[in-house]
Amino acid sequence: MRPETLDNINASARVEEDVLAALGRPGWRYLAGVGLCALLALMLFTLWGGLIFRGLGLSGKNHPVGWAMLITNFVFWVGIAHSGTLISAVLFLFRARFRTSFNRSAEAMTIFALMVAGLFPLIHLGRVWVFYYLLPYPSERLIWPNFRSPLVWDVFAVTTYLIVSLVFFYVGMIPDLAVARRRLPGVRGRIYGLLSLGWQGTLRQWRHYGRLYLFLAAFATPLVASVHSIVSWDFAVSIVPGWHTTIFAPYFVAGAIFSGTAMVITLTIPMRRWLRLEPYITVDHFEAIAKILLFTSLIITYTYLVEHGLSLYGGNPFERDQYLYRALGDYRPLFAVMVICNSLLPLTMFIRRLRRSLAWLFILGILVNIGMWLERFVIITASLARDYDPYAWGSYNFSVVEFGITIGSFGLFFLLFLLFARLLPVLAVTEIKQGAEERHEEAGMQGASERGSEAYP
Amino acid sequence: MASYYFDNREEFLERLRALVDGGAAPETIRIRMPYQVPEAEEILGGRPSPLRFFALFGGLAGFGGGLALTIYSVLSWPIIVGGKPIVSLPPFLLIGYLLTILCGSLGAFAGFLLLARLPSGAALAADAEFPERFVIIVEEEERP
Amino acid sequence: MSGVSLSRSGFLLVLALAAAALALLEHGGPAAGRGAFLVTLVFWTSIAQGSVAVVAVTDLTGARWSAPLRRELLAAVPLLPFLPLLFLLLWPLSDLYPWAAAPTAWLNRPFFLARNLALLAATAGAAQLFARRSLRRDPARVRFAIAYLLLYVTCQSLVAFDWVMSLSYPWVSTMFGAYFFVEALYAGLALAGMLFLLSGRRRPGEATAAWPAARRDAGLLLFGFSILWGGLFFAQFLVIWYGNLPEEVRFIAVRLSASPELCAFFPAACFAVPFLALLSARAKGSAAVLCAVSLSVLLGLLAEKLLFIHPAAPVRFGGLLAENALLLALWLLAMRSRERLLPGDGEGNAAGREGRSGEGC
Repeated sequence: MRPETLDNINASARVEEDVLAALGRPGWRYLAGVGLCALLALMLFTLWGGLIFRGLGLSGKNHPVGWAMLITNFVFWVGIAHSGTLISAVLFLFRARFRTSFNRSAEAMTIFALMVAGLFPLIHLGRVWVFYYLLPYPSERLIWPNFRSPLVWDVFAVTTYLIVSLVFFYVGMIPDLAVARRRLPGVRGRIYGLLSLGWQGTLRQWRHYGRLYLFLAAFATPLVASVHSIVSWDFAVSIVPGWHTTIFAPYFVAGAIFSGTAMVITLTIPMRRWLRLEPYITVDHFEAIAKILLFTSLIITYTYLVEHGLSLYGGNPFERDQYLYRALGDYRPLFAVMVICNSLLPLTMFIRRLRRSLAWLFILGILVNIGMWLERFVIITASLARDYDPYAWGSYNFSVVEFGITIGSFGLFFLLFLLFARLLPVLAVTEIKQGAEERHEEAGMQGASERGSEAYP
Repeated sequence: MASYYFDNREEFLERLRALVDGGAAPETIRIRMPYQVPEAEEILGGRPSPLRFFALFGGLAGFGGGLALTIYSVLSWPIIVGGKPIVSLPPFLLIGYLLTILCGSLGAFAGFLLLARLPSGAALAADAEFPERFVIIVEEEERP
Repeated sequence: MSGVSLSRSGFLLVLALAAAALALLEHGGPAAGRGAFLVTLVFWTSIAQGSVAVVAVTDLTGARWSAPLRRELLAAVPLLPFLPLLFLLLWPLSDLYPWAAAPTAWLNRPFFLARNLALLAATAGAAQLFARRSLRRDPARVRFAIAYLLLYVTCQSLVAFDWVMSLSYPWVSTMFGAYFFVEALYAGLALAGMLFLLSGRRRPGEATAAWPAARRDAGLLLFGFSILWGGLFFAQFLVIWYGNLPEEVRFIAVRLSASPELCAFFPAACFAVPFLALLSARAKGSAAVLCAVSLSVLLGLLAEKLLFIHPAAPVRFGGLLAENALLLALWLLAMRSRERLLPGDGEGNAAGREGRSGEGC
């Protein structure tokens, strides 16, 4: 039997049924997964409570290394958030068709990762109840935030990113919510109906909708690049050796897309199986996304080479020693794992058979994220542990509390994602229908002989 | 009033073309589409969506607002921090840039809600459906 | 210039003459102001390698907008082997570099020359191999595109780090290499933007039917690249400005005081002009707007190279003008002779499909 693909499932009813099937009654495995993740998330909040109650001494932060695992997690989760908008907006602008397989789950991932990421600066603050000092508001003390500080840029960048991503996510879902309203009975259908704002698919609605989606994609694309650039400037505008380097912005952006893409792969492979979405998310689509992984990995490798090479170039002893310390000092096992996971293993994506092996992609996705987490950890802690003055050198080891918070953040993220997969349409139903119809017509018009023709449409 | 239903995009477009060519005024034709079909818009004509002005003005307001906020706030308490000038344009441009995107997107979204008349209370109250098929409804002209 | 079309040997002769002229210009005159040749070389290396890279990237991603311009963009391929020759002319100038007096393991004359020559030659070779397959629409072109792009990135990074950055030794900016290869791609794209107008007029109508859509895409890409360029420029500037370390910020301070006009001109020409001009959808599809914007981008990139090099190696403006005019003429000649210099499509006269058979221009 020929495997089902989008080209031979044409009936739009089938698309709707398949995608919305996930909104049915959950099985025990799902509930167990939700329960486990909820427990982990609970652990995060409990430990955070402990940090608030007993003080930041419970973390392993110490004098030279004042930014450590919590900030690593912040950078990591903001990075994970990046590929969502990349896949949605950039691939939309470039008219890459495999986008519709991933965009909804990637956008959801963006939002959840940002929510998790946003927690970490708050946890790191210690006295979280004064976090509103970061926001510009006319206070009776006539004090404003210091807009020259990269930490304030961060507040603006992450908030903007969260809001724009939410709007993008929601707008993309409006017609699908209306579909859900039509297909689901009772109160649930009504809720979807309210969320769809009474969408009917009239000409007026579609016309403005098309423009809106284009504008949102056009706004989100430069935004995605600037958010992780700004996160990188938290480090780069300081003068700490190993942090203060001009390549940081593009390097962090590439790293963010790299880890985010790996996370998309890690999440969609099980989701595809669990929700029986094989006809919609095909191996070809995974191959396309694996190429993004390879491309960003090559940028990361280039950066490693340039950074480490140029530290030896100019005869600056602080730079040279910092990069040598990173590669050969206390953190050398972590550095080695990071190079293997981020630079060497993704090279397997040059091989077509491995690009198409979902098992290997799944494993690689996890390994890449381990590598990227370690990369941020090594960058942050190694530079603080050894900056200019040997008298102020130190080292850092994480505490159980920080470790638990890190694990808990994964629990929280997966919890949100599991809830999403049951509550909202996980694929862009209307876009898949549109894409299938267009492909169908094109195939009809061109005929098989014109495959690969150069004619511009 | 006559309604037509189509499963297929091509049939729908053909019928739509035939109706418009046959002299039906575009205002009397109402359509529902299960997904976006740009050709339908071309057939029925109409001016291009003015949404771009919402995005543009939102963006400009955000940029201006960002610069105004940062410059006003440093001038209201002019104190040198970190050896940077009082009005440090590079960082302030960054705030302006982020607010451009924020306000531009929100402006476009608000413009969309306004132009597409959403949320539509009438549709919600009447429980009007988002159909699975293409629909053309031709209204009878009141004055021949 | 219509009617000029050179054979391969004729073109080689012209190249040799041009090299001799450049050598005379550079080494025959008074010794002062010797940066002009370096500026010319850096600028034309980026255009020539960048325009091939644009084709490689579009072949790799399956983008179709560049299809009508493929041959025109690849016309730079016969010029690429000329670059190592020109680079050799740089040899007597190497005392311009501050490290020449105190060589290090990486920065010393023999190694400097050897690695750059080898990379320029390898890039030229890879471009040859890629161009042949790309024009034939050989499915194996993807591999050659990847190989070319890897060499291109390495070569442009060395252009940045070796040719330009080390003029201000020990000044370091880790982004310089990435900045240069993105700029070269931008230059290639700008060239494509100009070609829509320049070569579109001479085509029969049938061949240009698909052009408006292709132009809109090229316009969109140029618009996107203007933002990308602006972002990279800002990212580099901000970190140096903010860090304010004396050994780093000197690079900017010297250039700002040497020529504030140029400092204002190149961000305007490379970012503000394309960004504002291409904001509207109509402008993106207009050949005239695209051409003007592309010209502005190319001038901006040239001005930036001048600004990078001039304070470290003074530039004689007459020489700069003459040398750039000479290279421009060479490129135009390669463009005119592209039907004879480049390999065919491998499908008999398949070029006729796109309406350019027997088109001697």
